[in-house]
Amino acid sequence: MLSYEYVKCTGLSEAVDILAKEEQAYPYAGGTDLMVGMRGGKFAPKKLVDIKTLPELNVFEENDQGIIIGAAITLNQIACHDSIIKNIPILAEGSHSVGGYTIRNRATLAGNICNASPAADTAAPLYTLDALINIVGPDGNRSLPVEEFFTGPGQTALKNGELVQSIFIPRPFPAGKGVYIKASRTGSVDLATVGVAVQNWGEHVKIAVGAVAATPVRAFSVEKAINEKGEKSSAEAAKLVNNDIAPITDIRGSREYRYHMVEVLVRRGLEQTMGV
Amino acid sequence: MSDLKIVGTSVPRKDAMEKVTGAAEFIEDRYMGPMLYAKMKKSTVVHGRILSIKTEKAEKHPGVKAILTGKDYPNMIGLYLIDRTFLAVDKVRFWGEPVAVVAATSEKAAAEAVDLIEVEYEELPGVFDPREGIKPDAPVIHENLGNYEIVPIFYPTPGTNIANHFKIRKGDIEKGFDQADHVLEKEYYVPQMQHVPIETHKAAVQWSPDGKLTVWSTAQSPNVVRQLLAKSLDLPMHKIRVISSYIGGGFGCKAGASIEGLLVPIAQKYPGHIIRIVFDREEDMQGTFTRQALFSKLRTGYTKDGRITALQYEMIWDGGAYTEYGVNIVRAAGYSSTGAYDIPNVKTDSYCVYTNNSIGGPVRGFGMCEMQWGIERQIEEIAKQLEMDPLEVRLKNGMKRGSTTASGQVVQDVDYEKCLKVVADKIGWGKKESGKDGKLRGKGIAGLVKCPAQPSNAASSAIIRINEDGTAHVMVGATEMGQGMLTVISQIASEALHIPVDKIDIKVPDTDFTPYEWQSVGSRITYTCGTSVKRAAEDALGQIYRIAADLLEVPQEDLSYDGKKVYSTRDPDIKATIREIADSCKKCTGEGIAGPIIGRGSFVPTNMTNLDPETGQGNPGLFYCFGATGVEVEVDPETGVIEVIQLASSIDAGKAINPQLAKVQLHGGTIMGLSTALYEEVRFDKGIMLNRNFTDYKIATFDNVPHMDSFIVETPETKGPYGARGIGEQPMIGVAPAVANAVSDALGVEFNSFPLTPEKVWRALKDKK
Ligand SMILES: Cc1cc2nc3c(=O)[nH]c(=O)nc-3n(C[C@H](O)[C@H](O)[C@H](O)COP(=O)(O)OP(=O)(O)OC[C@H]3O[C@@H](n4cnc5c(N)ncnc54)[C@H](O)[C@@H]3O)c2cc1C
Repeated sequence: MLSYEYVKCTGLSEAVDILAKEEQAYPYAGGTDLMVGMRGGKFAPKKLVDIKTLPELNVFEENDQGIIIGAAITLNQIACHDSIIKNIPILAEGSHSVGGYTIRNRATLAGNICNASPAADTAAPLYTLDALINIVGPDGNRSLPVEEFFTGPGQTALKNGELVQSIFIPRPFPAGKGVYIKASRTGSVDLATVGVAVQNWGEHVKIAVGAVAATPVRAFSVEKAINEKGEKSSAEAAKLVNNDIAPITDIRGSREYRYHMVEVLVRRGLEQTMGV
Repeated sequence: MSDLKIVGTSVPRKDAMEKVTGAAEFIEDRYMGPMLYAKMKKSTVVHGRILSIKTEKAEKHPGVKAILTGKDYPNMIGLYLIDRTFLAVDKVRFWGEPVAVVAATSEKAAAEAVDLIEVEYEELPGVFDPREGIKPDAPVIHENLGNYEIVPIFYPTPGTNIANHFKIRKGDIEKGFDQADHVLEKEYYVPQMQHVPIETHKAAVQWSPDGKLTVWSTAQSPNVVRQLLAKSLDLPMHKIRVISSYIGGGFGCKAGASIEGLLVPIAQKYPGHIIRIVFDREEDMQGTFTRQALFSKLRTGYTKDGRITALQYEMIWDGGAYTEYGVNIVRAAGYSSTGAYDIPNVKTDSYCVYTNNSIGGPVRGFGMCEMQWGIERQIEEIAKQLEMDPLEVRLKNGMKRGSTTASGQVVQDVDYEKCLKVVADKIGWGKKESGKDGKLRGKGIAGLVKCPAQPSNAASSAIIRINEDGTAHVMVGATEMGQGMLTVISQIASEALHIPVDKIDIKVPDTDFTPYEWQSVGSRITYTCGTSVKRAAEDALGQIYRIAADLLEVPQEDLSYDGKKVYSTRDPDIKATIREIADSCKKCTGEGIAGPIIGRGSFVPTNMTNLDPETGQGNPGLFYCFGATGVEVEVDPETGVIEVIQLASSIDAGKAINPQLAKVQLHGGTIMGLSTALYEEVRFDKGIMLNRNFTDYKIATFDNVPHMDSFIVETPETKGPYGARGIGEQPMIGVAPAVANAVSDALGVEFNSFPLTPEKVWRALKDKK
């Protein structure tokens, strides 16, 4: 059983300071991964730094460049956001597919990617949207493309003391059409066996898949066939996804079923977004 | 019976207000006194000899008050086959078996101390599949099986892992196969599952200096806990008080005695302290009973017109490391082994086999879900072979009034046909719908039957105290775990006493005050406890009339009672209130007539018998409750995902005492059945449980529940209270086979096991290609 200290900071710099200086200090957003992990022995924090109420992390703004989603914004806020539902449905769908309503009342988008599960449901949509991760740390601010942010299962590019401040989704949305399709054992409050995001930007398509490799991955082979070689058949293109993934067998599904499902869902995603 | 006033109405739940406002007390809500918290040290090997247990470091840990190992506390316990100790002695037989218990001043200190205990094991070869375990050369898990004390209706084979071998020999099996035109032989498998009640197992005990033991427990059966503790600890029963608070769901996992006894020696060391243990979810999943896995083989002989002439059924059950209830589940499945069908020639062998998996035990259905899966799937395939309508094959072979069960018991009060037809009609049986977007539709039906699995002398009793103002206290030993016992029992008392339900008080049991109840299991309480309550009410009513006759000087035949007063039907002005009757004195002389009114009622079955050890013939059923499930599914053949479009269930309740509660019970049982049909399975890797939490042990959520139609059929149970029989477990039994039959109808592939996960469905289709 753990004992830890809980701190609530009044400003972002104070939070960064504590996270940088103290051993085993963790940012605490919704806690929906953190608490489960602490109970299961995955994390043993000495200090939880509550970041939910920091004003800098509660930004949720749309401007000419795109949309900024602060690290304290919950998945329900995102899934219910009018402009996101209308203009970036792939992100609304990815957010909505996480857990159940009560979980999403606490869970944040930043927490989902910082936890860095290969099955994180918002990751594949963010990959297809060219999302940027804005990071703040003891040495100042920096930004990374989401694809560079995930470095392995449970691992991110965050350095000691760093914290995700916000996630930026650049335009050209509302142009484009995207879907996120998730397969799970029960279809309700369950982790993805596989998750597929397909975003058709008009002149090119972007595809990313989750739960089939050490991190979410882009389906480059499929993208190339369509974008560069002019492949018109969704079924033919989808077959190529096997080159991009390396699924394993676990309690949620076998390697073989995952290979099969990714292909099916990529094909369906293409059919739904490309109109072929 | 048409003049019933209270029975058959949906009065609100007695416990509703308390529960929705959070006022209802569960074990952890109570402050009981100075506390010590207990935690268990658990085995990290699945089968092994204990070489040493080092507790020195843990003993020195701050806050630790006591540490107990099996050596300190070797008392044996068990319900039917006394094969268990509270803590492992010399040997561990499953992963997570308790080897020591620590009591400390906080849960944290106890948990830390547990980590400081060092245990050394010598690992032994394990048995993980009962089909291997049954073989003569398998490692023996219970070397002392031959010396265990057993209830003499069970038949273990010492020197092997067979904890019970139950046999049915009905009719002439050879002749039955001779009469058959075709024979179908298939194997089936049902994996372990868990009950997943909201509340985990909890217990607290206190020893008082005068040698009285008080136990608070989530036990479904406080009287059994008292009985087993009395025996195991050699204490007289009046020195043991067991209190069951409200229970947050049981489904069988809290039957019998589980963790209470573990704490007694610590309590004895610290008189006055409350020693409490609360299982976390992982402990509940792994350290309590699972539903036993079943490997079965059915051989069915049938004629070309679809009449079943012979059934040979072999069941090999994964009893787990200890049997507790397992041996009796194996027996119940054996004596019910024709399901809802009248089959003249039957040969059944049902084996309970010890393995090094988690302990097997009772789960809603008590073996019927597992056993009738095979029956209902087999009937479906017979129909397919004969190109007959599966509903027709069911109707043709289905039990009717006067049919005999596998054990030769004659069933009465049966309308299985109606149960089947009402669900068939609802789902539009016979009409094939087409699916959308490449999906395939199918329909399936399955029948079910279950009787309570209980000893022939399982008793109930009730006391009713009438207060001076005509209100009443009903006292019974049944537990309330959400099923609605308090309400239904009050309604039975209310009907018999003419006292409104809201003038009746009823509480959860406390063995120092409430009268004996065998167990709240087996869908029996409405019938058994209900009968004793009805008798107690009639007894009280008889006293009221007798006293009133004396008081009013009116013959009993001329008296009537309206719940408030007794009056003369000839002259309603000649009347007496309950208060006047209760402390009654003769008007003219002042001589007393009688004191307060206390009704008593007892019940023990008179229609049950022992079974012949060789043939299994006899009457094991107190009553038989039939029902059926109908399902329509739409399957995505590419992904294997099943969508349930329609789900209809019927149950023959005899008489629904509270129709609303009966329907809710039907809903709940059907959802639980659906959850096992589609998702639930405990997975083991060589005895190690892989999915002990809700991330990976999936149960249905509200999102997974389709629209349901429930039908309460009412074919009165002649001997049941107001014609009622129990329906608690039954709704779950038919769901898995009905779903599989529907999926099979949609896809043209057969399923021999469930859950039908998307991957399993996909694989079945792939293998067919
Ligand atoms: C019942 C249940 C169902 C779930 N279902 C799903 C599902 O279907 N799909 C899915 O993808 N996930 C699921 N999850 C996991 C979880 O809900 C999500 O990953 C969620 O988005 C995590 O967000 P959070 O705000 O709760 O993160 P937290 O638990 O607060 O944090 C997660 C991790 O990220 C770190 N962290 C948080 N915020 C920051 C930040 N701004 N900067 C740096 N580090 C940070 C924390 O220190 C911690 O290590 C489920 C969880 C539960 C309990």
